[in-house]
Formats: sequence, C-alpha cells, structure tokens
Amino acid sequence: MPLRSDHTRWSTAAKTFHWVMALLILGNGAFAFWMDGLKPSLQKINLFALHKSVGLTVLALFLLRVLWRAIDRRPADVPAPRWQHLAAKTVHGLLYLLIAAIPLSGWAFNSAHGFPLQYFKQFNLPALVEKNPELSDTLGTVHVYLFWFLLLVLVAHVGGALKHHFIDRDDTLRRMLPFGRAKRMPPTSPGDTP
Amino acid sequence: MILTTRRLSVLALALVLPLAASAADYKVGPGSTLGFSGKFQGQQFDGTFGKFDAAISYDAANLATSKFDVTVDTSTAKTGDGDRDNALPGSDFFDTKKFATAHYVTTGFSKNAKGDIIANGNLTLHGVTKPVALKVAFSPNAGGARLSVTGTLKRLDFGVGSGEYKDTSTIADEVLVNGSLNLLPK
Repeated sequence: MPLRSDHTRWSTAAKTFHWVMALLILGNGAFAFWMDGLKPSLQKINLFALHKSVGLTVLALFLLRVLWRAIDRRPADVPAPRWQHLAAKTVHGLLYLLIAAIPLSGWAFNSAHGFPLQYFKQFNLPALVEKNPELSDTLGTVHVYLFWFLLLVLVAHVGGALKHHFIDRDDTLRRMLPFGRAKRMPPTSPGDTP
Repeated sequence: MILTTRRLSVLALALVLPLAASAADYKVGPGSTLGFSGKFQGQQFDGTFGKFDAAISYDAANLATSKFDVTVDTSTAKTGDGDRDNALPGSDFFDTKKFATAHYVTTGFSKNAKGDIIANGNLTLHGVTKPVALKVAFSPNAGGARLSVTGTLKRLDFGVGSGEYKDTSTIADEVLVNGSLNLLPK
C-alpha cells in the first residue's frame, strides 16, 4: 500500500490516521463514561490518567495528521452534487475542529480542577489554566457536550459514507477502508495527478 | 573558712558547669510552620500542619544536651486540594482516629561531611516508629531564634498509604518534611 495518496485512493498514512484516531476517540469516549461511574479509588485515578493520556495521544495524532494532510496529495472527489461536496467538507471541518477541541477542553478541565497531567506516567504537561473550581465545572460540561456533538456529526459522516457505498455504489468508503481497493477509476481530475 | 585557690576554682566550676551543660530552652512562637511535600502523578504538592507543638533545647556549642521534642496533630494536614485533604485523615493514610498525633524526639546530633548539623531522632507516625534525620539550621536572633529543619522520609515505612495507595507510581514514596520555627525563650 502506498505511503502517499494518489488520485484514486487514500494512502496508508491517511488510512492509519483515520482509523487509529477513530478507534482511540470512540474507545476513549466509551471508556470515560464507564470509568466516571466507578466509586472513588486510586484505581479510578489511574484510569482517569489513562483516559487523559489517550486523549493527549489523539491531540498529538491530530497535529501530525494536519501536517501530513498539508504535504500529502488527496484523491479526487467522487462525482456528486455540489451541495453534497459542501456538506462533506463542512462535516470534515467540524470533525477536525472537535477532534482538537475535545482533548483541549479536557486538558483545560483537568487544569482548572488542579489535577496534575502526566502522560502515561512518563512526563508531566503544564496546566492550561489556573485552578478554578467554577471554571472546572463548566469545562467538564463542555468536554462532555463536545463529545455528544462529535457523535452527532459522526452520524452525518458515517451516514454519508454508507450512502455512497450502498446506494451510490461508488468508491468513497472503499478507498478509505483499511484493505479496500478502488473498484473503478474515478474520472481524471486536473491537479490531482502526481 | 579560708577559701583556697583550689577550693575557689572547684566552686567556680560547680557554678558554671550546669550552665554550660544545658542548652537554652525554647517554645514555639507565632510565625512557625511545619510542612511536607509529596509527589502525586509526577507533580509536587505541599502541605502544612495547622496544629503542632515543640519543646526545643538547643545550643550549637553543646549539641550533646540539645533536644527536639515535636508533637504534630496529623488531622490538621492541609494541601490545597479538597479531595486530598479529605483523604489524608482517613484510614488509608494518617488514620487520625487511631493515631491522632505524630511524635518526633531526637536521640542525638551529628555533623555530616559538609559540616551541616544533623538531628537524629525517632519519628512515630501512624503508630510506627522509625529513625528520621533532619538537617538543622539554627540562627539566634533578638527575640529568640529561628530554627529550620529539612529531611526526607518514606511514607510506606510508616504505613501511610494502605492497600492500593501503596502504589508509588502514582503517589511517590519519598516525602520531604520541613519546619521553620520561630523560637521564643521558655
């Protein structure tokens, strides 16, 4: 599989970013709702620390992904009405925004609460804001609501992908699947050839 | 009775000896602090004890008769974090219902290679007695003296942190203790 994308398919790098981050984000979200219900213990503190470390990993991957996106090519858009391209772009933009905003809000929430932030017990990261109990409550709520919003946007994202796959029967989803191959060549599009 | 020179000198010695042999006695005045620093998730936190008392006898020139005797009310520990301050007096840590006070008594003083004065003593904390050494800085002043001590101990030596709280990857074993006492003459 190619490291870089070409006009028919996403590169291994792009696919890896996409699926690893999807797994980490959804896994970490589900994990958070489970651990939040546990009764106070040191184990709970350590589980929260794990959740924070995974969140920071997502944030780091996000930065790398944006960087990679800037230097990688991208496959041509599959032909579709203009409003659908616009909708897809909006949904992607929102997803990128939320992927950064959720860990950042969690980081700020953690800082406002006055907790240390240690990455997988290896090193500490600085606080984003001063300790502030009221701000901590607000940021905690924001952190959770942003995740709900992400799930909502994800419905559009996944819905769109499934619609392309099962109704339009085009390559939109297939070219992003881990071992997927483009079924048919999309029409050549200027500017996307290497 | 005729006082011979020898008798005089014995008398003089008898008068002077008790003074030289006993260090000055002090009590704790306002502006004194006793605290500790631990590490949680890789980050240092500082705590203080609101209530403690100490009887200090100290003379840098006569360490043999110097003595620290400190009693600390462990239920008065404050670290600036509500969750932690609620947990500290509990049975997992200080267990203040069973062990209301910590007690430190010196057994002697020595000098280390750098010339620092070291107080050697026994600390009884959480019902466990272990030796703890403190570095001493003593400076007499107009009203009495300022005594600063620092030392380290291992919380698990004293059973502070039971069960899962023994996990030193989250809560460091080593705890720094420090005191800065404003001493007034007794």
